[in-house]
Amino acid sequence: MRMLATGSAIRGLPVVTIDGGEDVAEVRDLIYDPQAGRVVGLTLNKRGFLAGRSREVLAAEQIHAIGQDAVMVQDEDSLVLPHDAPADVGEPPSGRDVTGDEVLTEHGTSLGKVRDVVVLLGSNGEVVGYEIDAASGGTGYIPLPTQLAVSGSTLIVPEATKDFVEKDLVGLGAAVEDFHSRLSAS
Amino acid sequence: MSDSFTALSGRKVVSQTSAEELGDVAHIVIDVKRHKVASLIVGKGRKALVLDWDQVGGLGPDAVMVADESALHAPRNDHENAAADGKLELIGKRALSDIGNDLGELSDVRFDPNTGIIESLALGEREQSAESLLGAGSYAAIFLNDRA
Repeated sequence: MRMLATGSAIRGLPVVTIDGGEDVAEVRDLIYDPQAGRVVGLTLNKRGFLAGRSREVLAAEQIHAIGQDAVMVQDEDSLVLPHDAPADVGEPPSGRDVTGDEVLTEHGTSLGKVRDVVVLLGSNGEVVGYEIDAASGGTGYIPLPTQLAVSGSTLIVPEATKDFVEKDLVGLGAAVEDFHSRLSAS
Repeated sequence: MSDSFTALSGRKVVSQTSAEELGDVAHIVIDVKRHKVASLIVGKGRKALVLDWDQVGGLGPDAVMVADESALHAPRNDHENAAADGKLELIGKRALSDIGNDLGELSDVRFDPNTGIIESLALGEREQSAESLLGAGSYAAIFLNDRA
């Protein structure tokens, strides 16, 4: 069973060291690369009395796992200042925000607008789908192909995605594998 | 016979030389890497003292025996200060798996009173091996995820 979480459920999670058992930061936001289809890093807030934006960032390679209740890192050295981080984490290019982008199938059906990314829990930032404001109304969840075209305002998904608009994350978790086997079959 | 942290907590510490009670065990500090009891914190608040494991003369069911009061010392560094403040207390500590999922609270730790070696840790009804404990600090104790 794949456990999934939206970006908004990950924001605010504590960042905890495995070696030390300390909460060294909390997640401020996800740095998402739509081309790569994955979270490349996290921006951070400080914890406790010092609450507020932290200057440090956390690159995905330094994340042991994003869990339901915490983001785990090996130790405090995993958190670095932006100039010590990979460029796409330290200085992420602008125009990467997919929120509000229209999701169009290859044959031109609009499935809705992107609201958030859906991350595979236990991974270090693998994005398996999007939460969308479905064209049919309400919230929908769609699986993400490994390759897709993204402009500033629209992303193109395989036609088959139409059949995999799920009502909840459990549905999406179950649909991801079916979706990928359908894509590789066609 | 094994002993446990909940049973050891509150046990009196007595000097073999003077037969005086030097205080009660307030907290137990472990060395995660060596899976061992590292020290006992005797007394609470500003008067809390550290009793290193190698200074324990005998750990009996009713008292912890030390040669004399020089076996205890005031906290000497940040780690010992945090321990003296109870911030590293394991009982009641949040338990997290290394993949970031909540496992409940640590309810007890069993150890060998002769060697200080930790035998197992209890998360409610579940027993975890000492080897599955990866780290412990003020926020949480971290356990290796059981991927089975």
